[in-house]
Amino acid sequence: MIAIQYLIPELILSTSIFSLLIIGVFIKNSFNIIYRLSTFVIFLLILIIISDNNDSVKIFNKSFILDEFASFSKILILVSSFFVLLMSKKYILDIKNNKFEYPIIILLSILGMFFMVSANDLILFYLGLELQSLSLYILASIDRDNLKSSEAGIKYFVLSALSSGLLLYGCSLLYGFTGSTNFEVIANNTGDLKIGTIFAMIFILVGLAFKVAAVPFHMWTPDVYEGSPTSVTSFFSTVPKIAGIAVFIRFMYSPFYEIIDQWQFILVFISIASMILGAVAAIGQNNIKRLIAYSSIGHIGYAIAGIASGTENGFKSTLTYILIYAAMNIGIFAFVFLMKRKGKYVEEISELSGVSKNHPLTSLSLMIILFSLAGIPPLAGFFAKFYIFMAVVESGMYTLAIVGLVTTVVSAFYYIRIIKIMYFDDPKKPFESFKEYGIYSSLALSCIFLVSFFLYPSIFNGIISNINIF
Amino acid sequence: MIAHAFFFYFFSTIAILSAIMVIVSRNTVHAVFFLILDFISIASLFIIIGAEFLGMMMIIVYVGAVAVLFLFVVMLMNVSEQTLSWFRGSKQSKHIPVGLTVGAVILLELIVVIGGWKYRDTFTETKFLNFQTDFTNTHAIGNVMYTEYIHLFQISGIILLLSMIGAIVLTYRKREGVKRQSYFKQISREREDSVKLVEVESDKGVNLDD
Repeated sequence: MIAIQYLIPELILSTSIFSLLIIGVFIKNSFNIIYRLSTFVIFLLILIIISDNNDSVKIFNKSFILDEFASFSKILILVSSFFVLLMSKKYILDIKNNKFEYPIIILLSILGMFFMVSANDLILFYLGLELQSLSLYILASIDRDNLKSSEAGIKYFVLSALSSGLLLYGCSLLYGFTGSTNFEVIANNTGDLKIGTIFAMIFILVGLAFKVAAVPFHMWTPDVYEGSPTSVTSFFSTVPKIAGIAVFIRFMYSPFYEIIDQWQFILVFISIASMILGAVAAIGQNNIKRLIAYSSIGHIGYAIAGIASGTENGFKSTLTYILIYAAMNIGIFAFVFLMKRKGKYVEEISELSGVSKNHPLTSLSLMIILFSLAGIPPLAGFFAKFYIFMAVVESGMYTLAIVGLVTTVVSAFYYIRIIKIMYFDDPKKPFESFKEYGIYSSLALSCIFLVSFFLYPSIFNGIISNINIF
Repeated sequence: MIAHAFFFYFFSTIAILSAIMVIVSRNTVHAVFFLILDFISIASLFIIIGAEFLGMMMIIVYVGAVAVLFLFVVMLMNVSEQTLSWFRGSKQSKHIPVGLTVGAVILLELIVVIGGWKYRDTFTETKFLNFQTDFTNTHAIGNVMYTEYIHLFQISGIILLLSMIGAIVLTYRKREGVKRQSYFKQISREREDSVKLVEVESDKGVNLDD
């Protein structure tokens, strides 16, 4: 008898997907109702997952693991997708992309991420990953009459399918050389180091690095972020990154922990390269979505630095980092959703010039978010980087810490440049004003979170320090 | 051992070469031929290690997929020109030699795989995997697919559903001005709604406008 109560969130999610699909087919113009219901389902799932706190359980022949780490990642995924859905509705209606399938596909990708973060088995992990990425391909090209959106979709599809192939090849090698798809058995069998295991590890690492867009597998990010509709970009840059980093941590700390000497150096390289590229390449960008893409590459570099330290504090600092990163990203996209002039959404940074004269409050919020992204002390972004560097220095990787500090300073340039444009350049016409409480509340909540994090950081630190992955 | 190595390398070499040919050949029809050859070589490899169910499924599924692919090729390319050069064109046909070569290699492979199949028990020598040889492949897969791997089976189903939704979202367009048939309306129509009996007086005709 399989304990079905451990699967309640996944079961609720999938049944609600099916029923929403049927409702959407039979009711005409059902975008609004489906959108509301999907947001409600996500909210319900947050409550359900928060309310049940069971110990680490493994079901389905130990292939599905339910522990604190998985629950934490799931809650983070749900909360951030809740806010993304909350703030992107107006945009979707404005670009006339109100297909009722849109929220359903988002729910499906969340289902895939659920399986990813609870996977304790290569097959389950791969299926979850495919479910998630397939939804993302569709979402990227959902504005199909827009040439850029279709281009983004096909680009993402081709490159991501290639990386899935590499990852699958790695999985098959790992199965061949360790004799099991289960992470625990793999961890036990990687002890006698074979060249095949290292090969498999590298291939899987490549696939994972592609999914979280770390250098040198980042090429798709700017084009896909720019091409897809902003509502999809805000989802892309927040939610799949959480799932990707969670799976990254699971892989590195569970099946591959025995061969840490082999992967540590690779991760240090990926991390340094991402931080440098994220800092340097974003300087020349004029489109705000491209800028966010490069900045997200840089942030993923910091998150991977925490994993690269290979210690318990390391992955906990990464979790803190990804939590704060999600909050900052939601805030910055809430602002991007407000940039609308003459019925068209604008994306150029130059459009922000002098925006503080007309919109003092929202500009103040964006300034807080940008300072936080740059890592200026009292804000949450500083603490995120602080924990990462502490973990990195603790494990004696001074080069990584120094490169991280230098790139933080470099990347501060382009964040502060936006603030300069907003506050000191000549004002343009004001943005269109619309009463969309989802956007404003997301912006406000993100700012409040970032500002007040330093008052009592031990709330989140307390939760995260309880997470045990070994 | 030499026999094993021979079979393995024979099929793998053909598989790799034909995979390369799929990519490098400029002619789409040739690429499809080599794709078939590739699938059959890989299916032979499956059969050689004793996984005859997987091998056969591979052939059945991919032959179906290749048929669809052929349809696409025929639809997307200039069909009339192609037909001419296939059968009775004055120009030298470039398809027939390639097709014959691929066909010959497939025939050779089938002969080899039937020969190699007899030794299949000794092919399964791996350190960790312990095969049970007392029941068949299909039986073994069926034993685990709906019990131990039920969640994976269900997730695969959800992935297929998603791909269907995606195909509909990305391609379906509502056309304007198309007259559609509504079965429900047709069936629920009563005689009284559409037929009216009129007493026609002579020399006056019927007034249709009312």
